Amino acid sequence: MIDAIRAELIKMRSMPGVWVTFGLAFPLAVLICVAVLARAGGPLGHTFSHVHTLRQRRELLGAGYFGLEVLAPVMGLLCVTGEYRHKTMTTTFVLRPVRSQVLGAKVVATALWSVLLALLTLVAVVAVGLPWNAALGGVTSQVTDQLGAVVPGLVLSAILLGLFGLGFGTLVKNQIAAILLTIGGTLVLESILIALARAIFHYDLNWLPNGAGAALAGDIARGLGGGGRGAGFHLLTWWQGGLVMLAWGFVPLVAGYFTTFRRDVT
Amino acid sequence: MTSANAGSLSAPRGLPLEFRSLSKQFGTVRAVDDLSFTVQPGRVTGFLGPNGSGKTTTLRILLGLVHPTSGTATIAGRRYQDLENPTATVGAVLEATSFHPARRARTHLRMAARAGGHDVTRADEVLELVGLGGDARRKAGTFSLGMRQRLELATALIGDPDILVLDEPSNGLDPQGIAWLRDFMRYLAGEGRTVLVSSHLLAEMAQTIDDAIIVSFGQLKAQGTLAQITSHLTGLSMRARSPEADRLCHVLGQAGLPFRRLGPDEVAIDGVTPEQVGPLLASNQVVLYELVQEGADLEQVFLSLTSGLGFGAVAQGTPGAVGVSDR
Repeated sequence: MIDAIRAELIKMRSMPGVWVTFGLAFPLAVLICVAVLARAGGPLGHTFSHVHTLRQRRELLGAGYFGLEVLAPVMGLLCVTGEYRHKTMTTTFVLRPVRSQVLGAKVVATALWSVLLALLTLVAVVAVGLPWNAALGGVTSQVTDQLGAVVPGLVLSAILLGLFGLGFGTLVKNQIAAILLTIGGTLVLESILIALARAIFHYDLNWLPNGAGAALAGDIARGLGGGGRGAGFHLLTWWQGGLVMLAWGFVPLVAGYFTTFRRDVT
Repeated sequence: MTSANAGSLSAPRGLPLEFRSLSKQFGTVRAVDDLSFTVQPGRVTGFLGPNGSGKTTTLRILLGLVHPTSGTATIAGRRYQDLENPTATVGAVLEATSFHPARRARTHLRMAARAGGHDVTRADEVLELVGLGGDARRKAGTFSLGMRQRLELATALIGDPDILVLDEPSNGLDPQGIAWLRDFMRYLAGEGRTVLVSSHLLAEMAQTIDDAIIVSFGQLKAQGTLAQITSHLTGLSMRARSPEADRLCHVLGQAGLPFRRLGPDEVAIDGVTPEQVGPLLASNQVVLYELVQEGADLEQVFLSLTSGLGFGAVAQGTPGAVGVSDR
């Protein structure tokens, strides 16, 4: 199994798409840092200020989450749909004929790369967000005090979002369709569903993937690219979010394994 | 590029491939129909059949990529997915483009080595072996079709397997590449490995294979050694060239042997051996320029067996005991 995981890690390392997700994660995290500091100064575009409230501190620390919402699932689905797109699944299954091992190795490899992606966003916060906040008069330790509340959840969310992408890619083998559906679902559909649920049913649709991930990542991303989650929106508790994310990660994975993944490779 | 350094990690084992009552149904299409045959080690076996005859499906069933509807395809009695070290037992070339185009050749092979549980240094060894040593850092997407075939072959060899399964391996290869592949397959079989190769290039196959398995519509049509299939199976036929063709025909007629006049100085004599004809003509002092035993070539046999016509439709003679199916 270790060999299979190492093979999957080599595959991901040598896929340009994976590096594109890494290339986008850093600037997106910086962009959200800018937005958090701008919002801390009042209405957007008014002025910049250091973060004041607990929520603002957590949002600054978890600025990378907005990018992770999209990039972690995309990276996960690249891991499997790339195989179908380039017809490398034949070689993969010849090299490792036990398919559950292949999928298991992909789960571990996606999880590890998702951790790296999450850590990269934290590097962006440390490199840009915290110094800028300090330059605006903020106290860095007041932000870093929230590390325990944000970072474990952020990393865990990234892992589960990556696995959600992997599972989704296992179900929808067409890479372009899977990417479009993931981005569309993340950035558009979830926001629309949340808005509709609030407007029509007065219900906070907080168990969709990104909402659950935001809850797990320390109650962040509310309104900052947070998929329509504005003021007054009730996120799940972190552990509820974790359980829901676990379901979003593994249900499509298991479904994909028992449907497309075990099919004949002709 | 030499096959002399084929690089045995350990002495290859001779393992047979066994297909027993194998069938595969895709919807309404029966791709493989009750197929049974055995591939012996130490020989190059050609797996021949027209497009859609079930060759690729059969090979994919062997490798666990396709689930059979019924029957078994095993390697020394075990399914591929049940082997302890599959890539050290079987190496397969199934598609010419089964790698990520942005991945460098060496990276692809290192990945394959890792996946198969082999040392990554094996990547450079097999690259040298297939003549791609100088292209290790090139991305596979920039390779020509022939180079891709070589990279596929390198992937198949990553575990120094006892068995090689090659599906149309010479597609895209230039004449030098085809000749190299032929020598390489023969070298591997000479080491005691089992080599099963499917191809449409019958003339090329005729120069390469020891045994042939011919399938059509998913069914076995013939199997045996190449010599059996192309010669014994067709029945015996002699061609004689003589300046005394008229007298030759007279002698044959008196002896009761069936003959056909092919030209002014050429006569075909059916159903006899050289040992029968030679003394007869010598005792009658018939002058001969040429006396040749002829059998149908592989292409004739292939076309007759896979066209739905009996073999006798194109070649007269008695079907031999070489495992010819009338189905």
